[in-house]
Amino acid sequence: MNAKCKMQNAKLACLFAFCILHFAFAVIASAHEIGTTRVDATFKRDHTYAVTVFASPDAIKKRLHGDAIEKHVFIEFNGNRVVPHAELTPTGIRLTGEIPLHADAFTWRYDLTYSSYVLMLENESHGATRQWLEGDGMSTPFVLARDVVPPTRLQVVGQYLALGFTHIVPRGLDHILFVLGLFLLTTRIKPLLAQVTSFTLAHSITLGLTMYGVVSLPSKIVEPAIALSIAYVAIENIVTSELKPWRVAIVFAFGLLHGMGFAGVLRELGLPRREFVTALVSFNAGVEGGQLFVIGVAAILFARKWRHRVVVPASLVIAATGLFWTVQRLIG
Amino acid sequence: MAAPVAFAHDFWIEPSTFRPAVGAMISTSLRVGQEWIGDPVARDTSVIEKFFVRDNSGDRAIAGFEGRDPAGLLRIEKAGGAIVGYRSKPQRLELPPEKFEQYLRDEGLERIAAIRAQRGESKKPSHEIYSRCAKSLLVAGDGATKFDKPLGFRYEIVPLKMTADAIEVRVLYESKPLAGVLVTAMHRDDASLRLKVRSDANGRVTFKLPKRGVWMIKSVQMISAPPGSNAEWESLWASLTFEL
Repeated sequence: MNAKCKMQNAKLACLFAFCILHFAFAVIASAHEIGTTRVDATFKRDHTYAVTVFASPDAIKKRLHGDAIEKHVFIEFNGNRVVPHAELTPTGIRLTGEIPLHADAFTWRYDLTYSSYVLMLENESHGATRQWLEGDGMSTPFVLARDVVPPTRLQVVGQYLALGFTHIVPRGLDHILFVLGLFLLTTRIKPLLAQVTSFTLAHSITLGLTMYGVVSLPSKIVEPAIALSIAYVAIENIVTSELKPWRVAIVFAFGLLHGMGFAGVLRELGLPRREFVTALVSFNAGVEGGQLFVIGVAAILFARKWRHRVVVPASLVIAATGLFWTVQRLIG
Repeated sequence: MAAPVAFAHDFWIEPSTFRPAVGAMISTSLRVGQEWIGDPVARDTSVIEKFFVRDNSGDRAIAGFEGRDPAGLLRIEKAGGAIVGYRSKPQRLELPPEKFEQYLRDEGLERIAAIRAQRGESKKPSHEIYSRCAKSLLVAGDGATKFDKPLGFRYEIVPLKMTADAIEVRVLYESKPLAGVLVTAMHRDDASLRLKVRSDANGRVTFKLPKRGVWMIKSVQMISAPPGSNAEWESLWASLTFEL
């Protein structure tokens, strides 16, 4: 065996020894033992968060030494610590609070466990990710989804204006027909203005009162009544082109009903807790915009000169539709 | 009062009872924590090197459900003493310098702190591998108890003699008595009972135990980490739990 070969063998032996050593001390990467503790952090679309710690309440109590839980949990949004509402539960700890404005990232730490544990992080309906944390270690920042972070006031205004508007155009065919019914009564501005004002005032009142929980009517009553109101104004248009005194009162009453209908929709959409009034007013303004848009388009389409020719056929169609919906909503 | 903060944690075996009846099924839970307040450690075969019981009839592996707490389930078959042993594979721990230095002080490892100071490493983070050598002493029925034989762990606290108010143990490192190492005894239900003694030349420690109940004796040995481990230090954590 020549010298070169010997050297190569020695090198190989060294490499082999190194591999053996390396393998023997191929240590497990986690730092402390993995415990049975688990922490779930969920960020919801109602702009709140909930952190649930699953661990033995007895051990937690002992470690608290009489301290408040809040003192031992470190919840941060964009590096600013927030103090959650904390409670001890039969399965551990539950922490809740509101996600602050302009929050982008969440970090978590608590010092009531000594083992390694898994932290599950979830933006509601965006899926979950997980991090392994070491006892009192700090999590890496978790990026919040846009829809869980509360919008600014300006964003709320824009969003609810648009929601209100689109609730009429194009989504609210029943409201469109009602407004058209009001429009078709007469070619004069004053009676139209009186009706629209009365309707707006009324639906604003019930929208607000319903959202605040002051009044409530089941949608089983509200929805057929709205349909019936459409039929009523259309039928009256066929019978008369005068603004009868009772017409404004009846439109007001119908407005009250439509307001409850809007409230039902708004409740489904949800209102931001922090900007409740802003959202409510914006939605109402959006609805108003939608109605004015319908009247504007109708005014262009049905020029004054020949409006009288469409009143009856259009009102007939509207009345029929209204009646059909009334029956349909009563049965459904 | 805020909970005391420790940066390295004790590890012990907590059986459902230290005095089982013969024929009884008991659980042997693993706990990590401090001051007897432990987090349950689920059974994780990737970390377990040995988990067994030694009694008069020899050694038996302890069964259990993977990923579940309690980590072990065991039937007591004979009267007499039985020792449950748990030996983990090495795991890695990295700590910032201030935490590591505090841990060295807590565990009586000043000689390691001195070496770090000498090498100018006191302000550097630590890279450590650690492993567990936990034992628990059970007494079943009225049988004669004999438990002074070591299990053969790399670091081990061996009970030699137990009376109504004292226990004598020997600390063995690689099967040889280890002198001058800090050994702590802690009562489970009385946080004021924390006894700290250094072992004598024969690795012996005698604790006068002023109260009956469940006790833990623990000690940490630290040595240079072996080459190829990518760590500076290796620690071995021995514990022994028993009921007086």
